[in-house]
Amino acid sequence: MSTYLMRRLMYMILILLGASLLIFLLYAMMPGDFVTNNFKLPAERKAELREIYGLNKPVLERYMNWMNNAFHGNFGFSLSQQKPVLTLFNDYIWNSFLLAITSTFFTWLLAVVIGVVAAYKQYSWFDTMVMIFIFAAMSIPSFFIGLFLIKIMAVDLKWLPPGGMLVTGSNATGMEYIKEVVHHMFLPVVVMTLLGVGSLTRYFRSNMLDVIRQDFIRTARAKGMKERVVLYRHALRNAMLPAITLIGFELPGLFGGSLIIEKIFNWPGIGQLYMQSFTVRDYPLLMGFTMFIAILTVIGTLISDILYHVADPRVKL
Amino acid sequence: MKKLLITLLSITMASSILLAACSNDSSTPASNSTQTSAADTKGTENSSTTTATTELTAPIAASDLSKLPAQAQKRTDTIIVGLTDPSGAFTPYFQQSGYDGNVSSVLYASLVTVDDKGLPIPDLAEKWDISSDGLTYTFHLRKELKFSDGTPLTAEDVAFTWTLIHDKSYDGQSELLTTIAIKGGKAYKEGKAKSIEGIKIIDPQTIAVTIEKPNAKGLTILGSEILSKAYYGKDYTFGSLDYIKKLHATPVGTGPYKLEKFIPGQEVRFVANEFYYKGKPKTEHFIYKTTEGDTWQFIETGEQDYGSFQATQENIDKLKGLGFLNIIPYTANNYGYLQFNLEHPTLKDKKVRQALTYGLDRKTIYVDANQGAGQIANIPASPIAWSYTEEGINPYNYDPEKAKQLLDEAGWKEGADGIREKDGQKLKIHFIGSKSKATDIFIAVAKENYTAIGVQLEAEQFADFNAQIAKFESGDFDLVSFSTPILGDPSDGVISFVNGEVKGYDNPKVKELYEKGLATSDIEARKAVYKELYQIINDDAPYIFTSYRKLVVAYNGRIEGLSISPLRGLSASLPDWKLK
Repeated sequence: MSTYLMRRLMYMILILLGASLLIFLLYAMMPGDFVTNNFKLPAERKAELREIYGLNKPVLERYMNWMNNAFHGNFGFSLSQQKPVLTLFNDYIWNSFLLAITSTFFTWLLAVVIGVVAAYKQYSWFDTMVMIFIFAAMSIPSFFIGLFLIKIMAVDLKWLPPGGMLVTGSNATGMEYIKEVVHHMFLPVVVMTLLGVGSLTRYFRSNMLDVIRQDFIRTARAKGMKERVVLYRHALRNAMLPAITLIGFELPGLFGGSLIIEKIFNWPGIGQLYMQSFTVRDYPLLMGFTMFIAILTVIGTLISDILYHVADPRVKL
Repeated sequence: MKKLLITLLSITMASSILLAACSNDSSTPASNSTQTSAADTKGTENSSTTTATTELTAPIAASDLSKLPAQAQKRTDTIIVGLTDPSGAFTPYFQQSGYDGNVSSVLYASLVTVDDKGLPIPDLAEKWDISSDGLTYTFHLRKELKFSDGTPLTAEDVAFTWTLIHDKSYDGQSELLTTIAIKGGKAYKEGKAKSIEGIKIIDPQTIAVTIEKPNAKGLTILGSEILSKAYYGKDYTFGSLDYIKKLHATPVGTGPYKLEKFIPGQEVRFVANEFYYKGKPKTEHFIYKTTEGDTWQFIETGEQDYGSFQATQENIDKLKGLGFLNIIPYTANNYGYLQFNLEHPTLKDKKVRQALTYGLDRKTIYVDANQGAGQIANIPASPIAWSYTEEGINPYNYDPEKAKQLLDEAGWKEGADGIREKDGQKLKIHFIGSKSKATDIFIAVAKENYTAIGVQLEAEQFADFNAQIAKFESGDFDLVSFSTPILGDPSDGVISFVNGEVKGYDNPKVKELYEKGLATSDIEARKAVYKELYQIINDDAPYIFTSYRKLVVAYNGRIEGLSISPLRGLSASLPDWKLK
């Protein structure tokens, strides 16, 4: 196990090094830089600014500088926001994380319950209805369903706020503050859950169907166990095994933010920030964020592998 | 299973129809107006004046304030306005985003500001003198000016601000460096001088500055915001400005409001500044709420008091229907254009450029398809600018016959496939533009228009602005669609014709008039210069001028004292806003 971990860590570092170079080159190859899209500036001033920002240096030198700083814990300074990249992450990522973790929780919860029941009652009235609903929810674009809910729930009925994270100008603290945030995140979480629940439910349903037909389930039933125990203790546990690997892959998604949802619901998350920095070619922020996601992805896969080993001791690492 | 599939299919179909219905809704007027484009220009113009009876020219007052949402009703000392994306860099001169500029325009007053026409008026400076050679400006500050932390503002602070911009590590976009040159500024920047020679403090209330060359914009550029030396200058050493970044979030200004709290991605909260020289503003709290894109839902629910919208018929009707909003129409102070690539031999010929202007039905594209939220442009200045004129300006009304005649004269004869040819070469126009609905409309109409006069239009669209710029800079295009930023001075609207931005366009008369327009500060003299300049550019047609954007501002009917300055936005009247 420990040699395995050591080896994995070595690989991870190599992968991240390669990824960072690739990402840096890709960003550098994009047409235009931070100075280009400012029409008002005369050419001499543009050249001066490129000198100040170091944009006139060769790409490899810029990459080495970036890496060197990154190793010293300095991920640079956002050119457009005029703040350290890490401060910006801290300002925005937690808002995205809050939405993502809540909706992921509900997605998994709903998917497990619905998947199990749908599998148990395969081809029943319930199963068909659920599948229709799930496919419908998956195929409607998020912006449509989001705007539709805002129109109904916020503008017409005035039950829920139309967007944002707080009532504008609110000075709420403590419990009041939490209540306000929960109130505001209700709609985005509903939409994110609706969009995500479909595929995961299908996944659990088919896993359950596989497991239910196996001999050990029949044995359990033959022993006279209650159906609920058979389903949730014997069948579900085994059906969950393959899903455990998914948990690791969710990791980058939890912090990555969701551009469309954040935009529709005016949520102060990292997805919007990333998109803006892309349009203005704010390299330090782009690079920092992409690397952050890359690191999370690599860690996520590692966690998946370890979890799989924990869940199923037959898997050797 | 088959049954299930059919049910699923019908559901997806239903939802896609629903979606299509939604998107159709907004594009219907566009397709309607394309049909009328076949009629001659006069005819369509007449019909539009009769149909567009409700076109908005004067402000409308709220019809029924009782409809005001409870949330807006509740607020007694706070006004909320939407702003796309303030980033938190609130120090003027050091910000990269225009939205931060909106924030600092509330936090900082200038020495000199401009009125609705763009003419200079006193702000922190009570008055000023300009020497007869136009090189030395003397500013007389008001007495007892104070920063928002209560410390006095003197000529020292003005000198400090100008000097700071000349630091060699300054990475902002101040026009102090790019448009005018203060005497001795270069020497300071290169580290050869300890101070800037051209800046002279006469007494605590008076400061003089000498620039290298007369410039009509000098007054407003020099007369910008003032930074406190005691606050922004206490850690200053030449060549290192990093410390200022730490002060961006805690501004000390001179404007009507001070910063109370900045919540990234959500709100910028302001509180009235008791040290503001015109007296404390009438409303205690002001908030810029970060809202991306559409603000309808926030206006309708009363979460926001003020919003700006395209002046389309649909928008105006909807805003009026809400009942609790006052509506003010205005025209943006910039212009849209299609730039020719004059380095291509085909387009070097003025007749071809004029033909392509005559042959394009701009009214359909920019006015009708936009539901009236646009006005046809023919010169590089907006109708609200003091330099605007229609005298001696060719309106280039849509006239395919005239276009054909000009192309014939230029030697482009119709070939077998209906496309004109000259020396075995076909008349093809390669257009590049952004990926947007407006460009889609342009391409659809322009293709039809140009085919009718024997010109083939090939369109390429870019989802990313930088990619479009890169293509533009590579020179691989014939026609490109852009619009200018907000124009402060008339010279901003014509600078691209003289600074090499319009490659291949070189008219010595234009250059001469451009210099002449900047060499004097006398408004009447400048008006005459710009009139001549506009006439030349209008005839030369290096651009097809497209349109001026028409907008409406809609705001909570309880707010009194609000007016819109096309150049300064809402900050001009903000201190007078009051909730009744």
